[in-house]
Amino acid sequence: MTVAQPALGASKRPSRLRKLWDTLSVVLNSRIGTVGLAIVVFWVVIALLSLFWTPYPPNSSLFVQNLPPNLTNVLGTDHLGRDLASRLMQGTQVILLKTRLPGDTHVAIPGGVALWGVFGSLFLGAILGLNAGYRGGWWDQVIMQVLDALIAFPVIVLYLVIIAALGQGDLVVIFAITITGAPGVARLVRSLALDIKTRDYIRAAETRGESLAYIMYREILPNARGPLLVDAMLRVGYAIFAIGTLGFLGLGLPPPDPDWGNMVNEARRNIFLNQWAVIFPSLAIASLVVGLNLFADGLREEITRYQK
Amino acid sequence: MARFIIRSILSTIITMLLVSFALFFLLEVGSGDVTVKILGIESTPEQRASYRAQLGLDAPPLQRYFDWLIGNDFRAEKLVGYPLVSIKNQQTKEEEWWANVDGQLTRWQMQKGQLLALRRQPDGSRTKHMVSGGWQTAKNGQEFFWGVDTDNRAVKWVRGAGETVWVRTKAGFRKEGDGPRQYIPLRKGLLRGDAGQSLQTGRPVAVTLIPRVRNTLVLAGVAFLFIMPLALFFGIMAGINEGKPLDRVISILGLGATATPEFVSGIFLILIFGIWLRVLPAVALFTSADAIFSNPKLLALPVMTLALVELGYVSRMTRASMVEVMSAPYIRTAIIKGMPYRRVVFKHALRNALMAPITVIMLHVNWLVGGVVVVEAIFGYPGLGKYIYDSAIFGDPNAVEAAAMLTVTIAISTRLVGDLAYTFLNPRIRYS
Amino acid sequence: MATTTSLDTSSITYGHTGPVLKLENVAIAYKVRGGEIEAVQNVSFEINRGESHGLVGESGCGKSTVAWAVVNFLGANGYVKRGSIRFLGRELTGRSGEDLRRLRGDQIAMVYQDPMQALNPSLRLGDQLKEVLTVHRGMADAEAARRSIEMLERVYMPDAADVMRRFPHQISGGQQQRVVIAMALLNNPALLIMDEPTTALDVTVEAAVLDLIADLRREFDTAIMYITHNLGVVARVCSKVGVMYAGEMVERGLVEQIFKRPQHPYTQGLMRCVPKLGADKASSMLYPIRGRVPPPHSRPIGCVFGPRCDYAQERCRMERPALRTMPNGVQVRCHFAEDIDPSQWQPHEDVELPTLREVVASEPILEVQHLKKYYEVSGSTIKDILGLRPKSYVKAVEDATFTVQKGRTLGVVGESGCGKSTLIKTIIGLEDSTDGKAEFMGFDITGNIASRDIKLIQELQMVFQNPDSTMNPSYTVGQQIGRPMVRFKTVPKKQVRDEVIKILQAMRLGETYYDRLPRQLSGGEKQRVGIARALASHPNLVLCDEPVSALDVSVQAAILNLLLDAQSKLGTTMVFIAHDLSVVRFFSDDVAVMYLGQIMEIGPAEAIYAPPYHPYTEALLSAVPIPDPTAAQKHIRLEGSVPSALNPPSGCRFHTRCPQRHFAPEGGAVCATQIPPWQETDNGHKIFCHIPLETLRTFDPVISHKEKD
Repeated sequence: MTVAQPALGASKRPSRLRKLWDTLSVVLNSRIGTVGLAIVVFWVVIALLSLFWTPYPPNSSLFVQNLPPNLTNVLGTDHLGRDLASRLMQGTQVILLKTRLPGDTHVAIPGGVALWGVFGSLFLGAILGLNAGYRGGWWDQVIMQVLDALIAFPVIVLYLVIIAALGQGDLVVIFAITITGAPGVARLVRSLALDIKTRDYIRAAETRGESLAYIMYREILPNARGPLLVDAMLRVGYAIFAIGTLGFLGLGLPPPDPDWGNMVNEARRNIFLNQWAVIFPSLAIASLVVGLNLFADGLREEITRYQK
Repeated sequence: MARFIIRSILSTIITMLLVSFALFFLLEVGSGDVTVKILGIESTPEQRASYRAQLGLDAPPLQRYFDWLIGNDFRAEKLVGYPLVSIKNQQTKEEEWWANVDGQLTRWQMQKGQLLALRRQPDGSRTKHMVSGGWQTAKNGQEFFWGVDTDNRAVKWVRGAGETVWVRTKAGFRKEGDGPRQYIPLRKGLLRGDAGQSLQTGRPVAVTLIPRVRNTLVLAGVAFLFIMPLALFFGIMAGINEGKPLDRVISILGLGATATPEFVSGIFLILIFGIWLRVLPAVALFTSADAIFSNPKLLALPVMTLALVELGYVSRMTRASMVEVMSAPYIRTAIIKGMPYRRVVFKHALRNALMAPITVIMLHVNWLVGGVVVVEAIFGYPGLGKYIYDSAIFGDPNAVEAAAMLTVTIAISTRLVGDLAYTFLNPRIRYS
Repeated sequence: MATTTSLDTSSITYGHTGPVLKLENVAIAYKVRGGEIEAVQNVSFEINRGESHGLVGESGCGKSTVAWAVVNFLGANGYVKRGSIRFLGRELTGRSGEDLRRLRGDQIAMVYQDPMQALNPSLRLGDQLKEVLTVHRGMADAEAARRSIEMLERVYMPDAADVMRRFPHQISGGQQQRVVIAMALLNNPALLIMDEPTTALDVTVEAAVLDLIADLRREFDTAIMYITHNLGVVARVCSKVGVMYAGEMVERGLVEQIFKRPQHPYTQGLMRCVPKLGADKASSMLYPIRGRVPPPHSRPIGCVFGPRCDYAQERCRMERPALRTMPNGVQVRCHFAEDIDPSQWQPHEDVELPTLREVVASEPILEVQHLKKYYEVSGSTIKDILGLRPKSYVKAVEDATFTVQKGRTLGVVGESGCGKSTLIKTIIGLEDSTDGKAEFMGFDITGNIASRDIKLIQELQMVFQNPDSTMNPSYTVGQQIGRPMVRFKTVPKKQVRDEVIKILQAMRLGETYYDRLPRQLSGGEKQRVGIARALASHPNLVLCDEPVSALDVSVQAAILNLLLDAQSKLGTTMVFIAHDLSVVRFFSDDVAVMYLGQIMEIGPAEAIYAPPYHPYTEALLSAVPIPDPTAAQKHIRLEGSVPSALNPPSGCRFHTRCPQRHFAPEGGAVCATQIPPWQETDNGHKIFCHIPLETLRTFDPVISHKEKD
């Protein structure tokens, strides 16, 4: 986020690490928040681990097909005889850790598709919401009208339309998440801006003749970060949910990396033979989404309590 | 209140226009060359260009947008000089365009440099006639003729300067001389119920869509009827018992339900009911578009899947709203007035608590519709969602546009209903 | 009131002769994470029939908590830890929820601070009134409606039958409070609890509601527990009063006794914080109580007031005093109540007192002539949307003319919606002016901030009302005070920190505050930072928008002193808005009185508060509750409510409500047709009224003092 501090030389501020810890300890005060955080941390650790080590190469068919969980393959194997655990581990990367650029260069940038998509919707949504909320009038009318049009699309339909138009790929999914998420963020930021702009410190900034940009991005935005943080957590959950759904529909992140949704899709064709290959990736998606939701709930509970 | 209602309606109309604009440009302009998809990658650029012209794709985008939205027959009428009518062909059940030449329905054909008029007889057959007159002269001396051809297009022939065109027939691609110079594929436009032809099937999109929409409305409607009372009940129960075990149980189950994607819950339901318990068909085969009416059991799993996600979401919304209202000062007033608890909840809290969810629920109908896409894809249910999905995979612009417009229309009209319901529920708006 | 009421009085348990409510050694605790907090300790008092018992104290002293405990509404985590609460001889603590429910609304009723919030927005007022009768008495609907209408008429509600059909948002704040009071009285309760019932109301509306409460008390023979922070209100409606401090009752007795001779050092301190109506800064001083109210978890072992008390001794630190009854019947919680003589009191050396400088009339710095500010409003009918009807305007400020001289303070008073805030927003440039002239230091300031030069912007700064929103929660104190210096480049970047610390010290905050975030500050401290920020760029004119109205009286005194001190040191000119007439009188050199967008009277402060008055000023002054039971105040009440600024009355805007209109020429007919003249008395005192000055001069002063016995 574009939260910058006013340029003031020698002021001693609590370090960022300290602030992070403060936020975390706030979450740890809430039981559901702690559970959520634990689930999220679990998957992040799995993702980081998978960068260096997976039990077996995730894309090679080394085993008998459709094995139930056993000592060699802790989660069993899929219909091509690939190790399910390794594929699940590898599958976290595209969601959380890396975005593959188009072309055959195999170049990836850090930050998963879900994270970049949510960042995109936060960025776009915050700008639109601030302008609509703070400026009001025609800005508000026009921005909200356009956003209303975007919101009118059922999310999945918008994904389908975008993918039908632009084809598959990591960047297209990021774009789709950005576009579908931005209206929600904008509405949230707008309502926060409408509230915050009635505060006296905004009057004070106006009576100093501060620029519109200063007031929006330096005075209003930092005070919206609590609710935005909560919203971002929920949105990462939705994004993972959506990536899974797209993968299931065969429209998600392209191979070679395994995609949880697509794993479910492939495995369901053999559902009479092997239910494990359906259950584990399903659980992976659901648990990560639930974890983020719980984390967000805990965060929200504590932030509102803090404000009281 | 008049202001509020007019605003809602106006805003809905503008929204629809914006949506149609966005859809059209994203799909028709933003996506690649559709002729590659139709003709295959082995087709030559020359063939593609000719075919693009025949589809009217060489026209400027904005004009194509308006053709698509409101039709182009009135534009073509001016060129042809006769009123154009569309009538249903009794054999193919498809609409055909004819020019009404002094009471005689007519089309034209160019054969070996000779223009022929096809006149439709009352029994549906047609007779051929030579045409000599009717040619117009352009400023540069060229003679040209605007007429309706046999493929429902208004076309412009230029005498002595036939274009070489590639005609797509059932047998393959054929090269023809004497082709028209300009094509306007006639259509009435989306607003007048003509969504154009599907690239995938070659049939009008509207014909296929109608039973699909009906099936989807059945699915979503049944699910909606299940979800609403249950979700409101659970939400209210959780809300008035905030922090108690009942609330915890409902909230956690609700969260689990919302956080589980439809395809996961759908498959689990298949596993449970179809494979382990064997009470419902695990693989539903929709043999025809009307299968759900002859065997309503087929609806059970799709409805359950759809209901699960929404149930969680709506009950969470209702709970939040109820909790907020229950801590409002006027509820405090009611309690301190000595009102019995039931009266506090039902008379004082409920109405206020339902105001927020109603708009949110109506806003959420597009989630329901989105869920429908996934559910239909899982179960192979022949509805609108499956149609969009199939068309999107194929890249069939007319089909995707029409179907997406329909889903958006459903979503927006429910939202409008929600807005109006809110207006009537909330006296602060009703009496201002 | 000629209407006969047929109120059912059977609910009062006759035969019980003791007090209606008796609290003995009540302690109330809240469970919080990691322990519990005793919000209230050792509170004992009783209220008899027909008695109105006040509970006063600053925010956080526990007075509302006591009320919630009586109705058993302490929330999920609060409970009565010790002591007993007896209602008509019956113990209330430990009773079942159903028993208490039957009492509530029937024999115990409550009226709250914010009537708009207290009424259900989606139910008709009639339904909300009737259910009290139908539920508790099983009364038929028609009968309940009849009784409700009677009760509404009883509280002087105009169009009572019509109000029954309305929703809360369709009536004014004063009317809403009448509905809430009527609702509370429907079952003729034995005990009526009022929690700051007039705090959210304007002073003239407040006066009418207070009159109503006094009337009701006489007629209904109800015991009233009246909670307020306003000593003036206590003096007007209560017979007995208990002063609360940090969860304890420190003094309790008859109102006359307490006001005449407060014996607890805290009560004495409170009285010294409040400016008397008519007192000014030259002739009197406000003495804030030093220190802060201790939070409930760190109260001292000894006397709770000990750390702030000027008389504290060793015993006060070691031993908590008990509530003792003094010879005059007043109960005081102080070891040394007998020894303290308030007349010998000297302010403690820690107390900040301003040093004032005589301001000689000098050149005008701000000149405003015929300034107008209209807001366009869009109607809500179809015609309006289509633009078929002429546009309508809210005339927020109409024809304002005044000058402010360098180094002086202009006070602006008026009720909410009178346009005083719009006036200063226009001056500072948050709004464009619609018409008229405004010059500041010779520069035109009719345009908004965007059209002003940065040097001009720097010279005009503002202090805001609400301490909780005056500071941006995301930045430290130092950053926020430093921002104007950086923005206006008044100080080189490297010296900003030093300069900020200098200002902090001038605000008596000290260097340690530099890195604090707003949430670590108290309300008064935030307000000091707000003042520091306004003064940081050394502006020539500071506009203060109700800077003390959200603060407790002891903090208010300190902030007023601080502003005075800063003004005399820096020679700053000020425009000071407030609704509290005593504060404005105390603080300002000149005063303007506004009504419905129009300045009604303007002149030197002492001239405004003495005859000749504008009839509106006279009504305002007679409405102010003054903390002195011995003062006699003229009884002038305004009829009706303030007309809409969309369509203000013709002629004199005040003519529809003017109580003195019959003195004007032609029996007041001219008031409705002609705009009044500005009549000037002397030394710049001007009155905007048709009534001849000679007549206005004959009016008695609003406040007179009874002979001291």
